[in-house]
Amino acid sequence: MIASDKTLIRLNGLSKHYGRLTVLDGIDLEVKAGEVLAIIGPSGSGKSTLLRCINYLEPPDGGTITVDDIVIDAGNPIGRAALSGLRRRVGMVFQSFNLFPHMSVLRNISLPQERVLGRSRKEADARSMQLLSRVGLADKAEQFPIRCSGGQQQRIAIARALALDPEVMLFDEPTSALDPELGLEVLAVMRELAKSGMTMIVVTHEMGFAENVSDTVMIMADGNIVEKGPSKEIMRNPQHERTKRFLRAVHDR
Amino acid sequence: MNGLDLMPLFRGLLWTITLTGGAFLIGSVLAVPLLLARRSRVWLVRFVAMSVIQIVRGIPPILWLFIIFFGLGMGFLPVSPFGAALAGLGLIAAANMAEIYRGALSSIHFGQFEAANALDLGRWSTFRDVVAPQAFRVALPTAASYLIGLMKETAVASTIGVTELAFHGKQMSQLTFRGLEVYALVGLFYIALSLPVAWASRAADSRLRARVAR
Ligand SMILES: Nc1ncnc2c1ncn2[C@@H]1O[C@H](COP(=O)(O)OP(=O)(O)O)[C@@H](O)[C@H]1O
Ligand SMILES: [Mg+2]
Repeated sequence: MIASDKTLIRLNGLSKHYGRLTVLDGIDLEVKAGEVLAIIGPSGSGKSTLLRCINYLEPPDGGTITVDDIVIDAGNPIGRAALSGLRRRVGMVFQSFNLFPHMSVLRNISLPQERVLGRSRKEADARSMQLLSRVGLADKAEQFPIRCSGGQQQRIAIARALALDPEVMLFDEPTSALDPELGLEVLAVMRELAKSGMTMIVVTHEMGFAENVSDTVMIMADGNIVEKGPSKEIMRNPQHERTKRFLRAVHDR
Repeated sequence: MNGLDLMPLFRGLLWTITLTGGAFLIGSVLAVPLLLARRSRVWLVRFVAMSVIQIVRGIPPILWLFIIFFGLGMGFLPVSPFGAALAGLGLIAAANMAEIYRGALSSIHFGQFEAANALDLGRWSTFRDVVAPQAFRVALPTAASYLIGLMKETAVASTIGVTELAFHGKQMSQLTFRGLEVYALVGLFYIALSLPVAWASRAADSRLRARVAR
């Protein structure tokens, strides 16, 4: 399923502390180009922090981050160029969508293209419309986000991130704020994105997505990777007691 | 109105408008560096900015005008009544507007900054495209009602001899012995000034609201 052997993301010994609390305890991780990695695990285990460290929304305390040709040593202060390089290669989708409420849907997607990539308004709008069609929302272009359902807003947020042509997309519980039905339309978009070869790291509680869409599943607990492997194997036949306990708990709900 | 010469009141009105507008402008602009200082990463800068805001807001405006006009003005920094009033009210407006801006900024959802960062919009675009328009919307009604308050506050300038509305009102009532009529008239002038501000603010507010909630 994974399209290539090229490693797109490599984390070495990534660590993060809040005061005396160790949130990431030296994470080593490799993600190949085209791979879809699902991260699951109990709440508070550091999943969000891991995602937010990868694009430096949260500066890690130690370790290195490599994305494509960008290498960042977390021990040192990051330069503007490296930070930009990193963020342009990494798109992110949040649990709470975070669309800009004072802009139309079209403007939400076009403005970053103009500011970040220097596209003209016309180019940007054309690309935005193309992406809106792809997520099934071309008819919403002129609306304001508040007039869209949660599921629609999240699909718009996905389009907004895709518009900057990232190499990898991070999703932090993209369906957790949504009713199950609305979650489905978001998952459908993500499934299509995965099929198209996008490299994705998805923190999720959707076990169906983890098992059937992702290539790899990783379980986190207490800032560590408990287990990681091909999704079917991990989901159907977990090796570690911690993983079994978590999957049972999810199952029993 | 039978026999009252209204010209002085209109001249006073002009000064009231000038003083209000000038102080509001000074305040709106000065509030920006003041707010930045208040949110500075350096502890001392933050402390100084917060003290300035507290002190400026804690002392009655009339006292500020006396300090500037009679205190500084008579000593080493000769200043006209209008200059003193503009400086004093401008300073007070700056402290108040800084607080209004701060409230507006803190009303913006954390996720907005997060999204802007993740998209790599950069500081300037984040401010201009994301933060400022949303903060403006929140600050608008508060700022408008502060502007009306400030307009009424300018009446204290009459105490140091600025020939604004209240000053002419007092003079006219002393000349004509028709205090009730004169001051009622002056009151009407103030109301006439505040109405368009209130109306414009409400219109702008509902227009902005309608845009998002269409
Ligand atoms: N800004 C912060 N300050 C202090 N503690 C934090 C902060 N963000 C997260 N944490 C703590 O770090 C731990 C991991 O959080 P998080 O990465 O959000 O976990 P998850 O996404 O797996 O639920 C939690 O114990 C959380 O309370
Ligand atoms: Mg989380």
